[in-house]
Amino acid sequence: MTSAHQDGQPALPSRRAHLQQWLGLGAMALAGLLPHGAHAANRRLICVGGALTEIVYALGASADLAGVDTTSLYPPAAQSLPSVGYARTLSAEGILALAPSMVLATEDAGPSTVLRQLENAGIAVHILAANHQFEGLLQRIQKVGELTGHAGEATELQTRLRNEWQMVRTNVEAHPAASPRVLFILSHSMSQIMVAGQETSADAMLRYAGARNAMQGFTGFKPLTPEAVIAAQPDIILLTDLGLKAAGSKAAILKLPGLAQTPAGRKQRIVSMETMLLLGFGPRLPLALKELDRSLQSAMQAG
Amino acid sequence: MNPATINLINQPLLVMEAASLRLGRRHFGPYTLTLHAGERVAVLGPSGAGKSTLLKLAARELHHSDGHISLLGRDIRHYSLREMSRRRAVLAQTTHVAFGMQTELVVSLGRAALEIDPHLTTIVHSAMQLAHAAHLAGRKMDQLSGGEQARIHLARIFAQLWDIEQGLVMMDEPLAALDPGLQGELLDSMQSYAEARGHALLAILHDINQALHAFDRLLLVNNGQLEKQVNADLHALPALQSLYGIQLGSLMTPDGQAVVYRQKNPSLSPRAQTHNRLNS
Amino acid sequence: MRIPFRLIPRAHWGNKWQVVLLVAITVLALALASSIGAVSIGWRDWLSPLQAESTGNSYVLWQLRVPRTLLALFAGGMLGVAGALAQGLFRNPLADPGLLGVNSGAACAAALTIVFADSLPWTLPAGLRPWLLPLAAFAGALLVCFTLDRVARWITPGSIAGLLLTGIALNAIAVAVLGLCTYLSTDEQLRSLSFWTLGSLAGAGWTIVGVALLMLLMAIWQVRRLARAMNALALGEAAAAHVGIEVATLRSRTILIVALLVGATVAWCGMISFISLIAPHLVRTLHGSDQRRVLPLSIFFGGLLLLIADTLARTLATPAEIPVGIFTALLGGPFFLMLLNQTRERIG
Repeated sequence: MTSAHQDGQPALPSRRAHLQQWLGLGAMALAGLLPHGAHAANRRLICVGGALTEIVYALGASADLAGVDTTSLYPPAAQSLPSVGYARTLSAEGILALAPSMVLATEDAGPSTVLRQLENAGIAVHILAANHQFEGLLQRIQKVGELTGHAGEATELQTRLRNEWQMVRTNVEAHPAASPRVLFILSHSMSQIMVAGQETSADAMLRYAGARNAMQGFTGFKPLTPEAVIAAQPDIILLTDLGLKAAGSKAAILKLPGLAQTPAGRKQRIVSMETMLLLGFGPRLPLALKELDRSLQSAMQAG
Repeated sequence: MNPATINLINQPLLVMEAASLRLGRRHFGPYTLTLHAGERVAVLGPSGAGKSTLLKLAARELHHSDGHISLLGRDIRHYSLREMSRRRAVLAQTTHVAFGMQTELVVSLGRAALEIDPHLTTIVHSAMQLAHAAHLAGRKMDQLSGGEQARIHLARIFAQLWDIEQGLVMMDEPLAALDPGLQGELLDSMQSYAEARGHALLAILHDINQALHAFDRLLLVNNGQLEKQVNADLHALPALQSLYGIQLGSLMTPDGQAVVYRQKNPSLSPRAQTHNRLNS
Repeated sequence: MRIPFRLIPRAHWGNKWQVVLLVAITVLALALASSIGAVSIGWRDWLSPLQAESTGNSYVLWQLRVPRTLLALFAGGMLGVAGALAQGLFRNPLADPGLLGVNSGAACAAALTIVFADSLPWTLPAGLRPWLLPLAAFAGALLVCFTLDRVARWITPGSIAGLLLTGIALNAIAVAVLGLCTYLSTDEQLRSLSFWTLGSLAGAGWTIVGVALLMLLMAIWQVRRLARAMNALALGEAAAAHVGIEVATLRSRTILIVALLVGATVAWCGMISFISLIAPHLVRTLHGSDQRRVLPLSIFFGGLLLLIADTLARTLATPAEIPVGIFTALLGGPFFLMLLNQTRERIG
């Protein structure tokens, strides 16, 4: 929630602009005098989707950001931007109040009527598909670069990421051992476990990490019975940091029905990662893969 | 049908010809009876005898499966509910009014089927007066006692046939919820109301004395059958004794009214005992 | 206190001054609600339809905010009168379409349509597509209404507890089917499904506002004719028939109107609970139980309530939006408990 200070300008000062005002004369003068600053003033971006926000920051275009959604948690600076709320319950007027020139969004953004209203209001709305592939990430970076006038930076970023990716992938493919079976748990309650099937971001990450998704035979995230958990025989349980925090401890995770009867449960192989890092398919993808690979490997070696 | 013609030929108001009905496993009827305008008829019988069913058949709340029922010479199945409401009024045993409505509104509902009703306000007030309910005006139904609610519903029945002549007023235990003093007063109101308009009264009663004093004829109902129709005088006592399975005696009051009471002494032959007293 | 009894021939909104007051409050509320929001509106924007060139925020005002406040008013009115009709029909102040499962029935039918419409062997002509969801929602609402009517009459005659329990059962079935739809849906379908469960007026546009106004006018026209018979229904069905009301016709007509109103609001605004419960009750508290006043005034109170709730929903967390259903439920939950407390002797 932001305090909406309105001083007659059609372009409303966001919290960011508000901060700038108070950050000191130097910064103000700089922002006002530099051509880049003037450029940023008429390009105002709304980013719906954490990975897109990360890309904007990675391209150095963050000065253009006028608002982000609730999944835009990284980098931490993004959290101080005005929030347009949950991606699926966007408000047309709320977004228009931030006087954006462009909305970048993932497919999750909605309701569709709001997106249509934004377009009718003359806002360029760009939906950038997340197809859970490294190549998809490169495409999105290029697109964001073009749209934000940072095409050069985008090419640089692409090159850097390609190199990093190459290194991590080479590393992964060099592992001699057989690929472990990994069960990704998105959320859990007392009696039910929601796991990742095919065509999910988690499934794609596991494949890149040379692991096998222990769940085969369905798509999307679905609830699973304890019996199916046992039948899947995962070697490792993969969680998000939030999921692990919600459970309290690794011991609590192992108490979930069925988990103790799996190889992962018996050897206590539980790995967790930050949600947006693991599943976001943003510019931290090589880093995420590296971390996932390292975690999986050390878990397998420990047990 | 033109009311004027009806008066000329002095047609009976209500005619039931072997009207019967099956409700689940129980069989009611055949009921055969004729009711003329201005008549006052009480329906008596033990609980569960089928008194209410008889009334509901005549009111077309239940539909008879056999026989014939006509109101003013016309099959009641050919009436619209609206037409029926202008010929007969029905006071059910209990009526729960939802939402705590205002009393005058409830009384005015007796005339809900009328599109144009210029004298509604006057009629409502007069009806409430007659039902000893004028002081309840402006109150809400859910704030009234059972007896007070009964008076409002009686006023509603009065209002329904207020400006009609030779209608039929059917009542299922209209006095049950009232204290004795009020029972007498309201019985008087009903009589004067019916008399002034030539309405027939058809009322289910439990009090034999009220039936004998205020009504002309008694319909005795038992086991789903109309057992007997008798005039409302002391000659009806034998039939009433067998109807209820009790012994009845009678006394004369100083002003010459007979009062019936239940006898506690069953040692003597009931029939002989009663007849002795009657004949003495 | 003695309230003078007046003869009211038909449903109406009040005497001349009361009508003026109602219109004034409505216009004021509309103006007030339209003037606050994330974007600040100047007086020039209000005049923009009269000017050749559009001002900066005229789009926000005239394409987003005004249609939305109008839709809130109309949809709230539709819910309010639907609640009053359902309560009159089932003769109980707790008989709220939302509680009885009519809303979820409509949402459930809409969800089924979203998930399975593509797998049907035939395709709808493009012109009919926008009407598919409202029609499905209407059908769902109608089905629940008729089931309720049957069950209320045959399984548990006259018992509000039985009616509410039936509502709970129907609600549970509808929620289960909604869950099944969620399970079977693709990501894209899931996104449109979440709209119904949360409830939102964000989709407001002039077309929807126009159709909603038409439906509201239809409801007002019908209510004028039904109000007096509805009053008689408070005596019970048998007594209503005795005073000359064609109860069967009244029932089916009422059910049809309730289903139509609820189906339309659910199709356009999702499940918005409790407006239909609160509005009629407020009117009865203020004006007594005469349906000739309760029915029309429920439109007004329902509209005003939803307008307030939606204005809060879209202004409290700017530039984000809070689902409006949260406000109506926060408002309605405690209210329902209070009502339950008042009527507890009569339950069962």
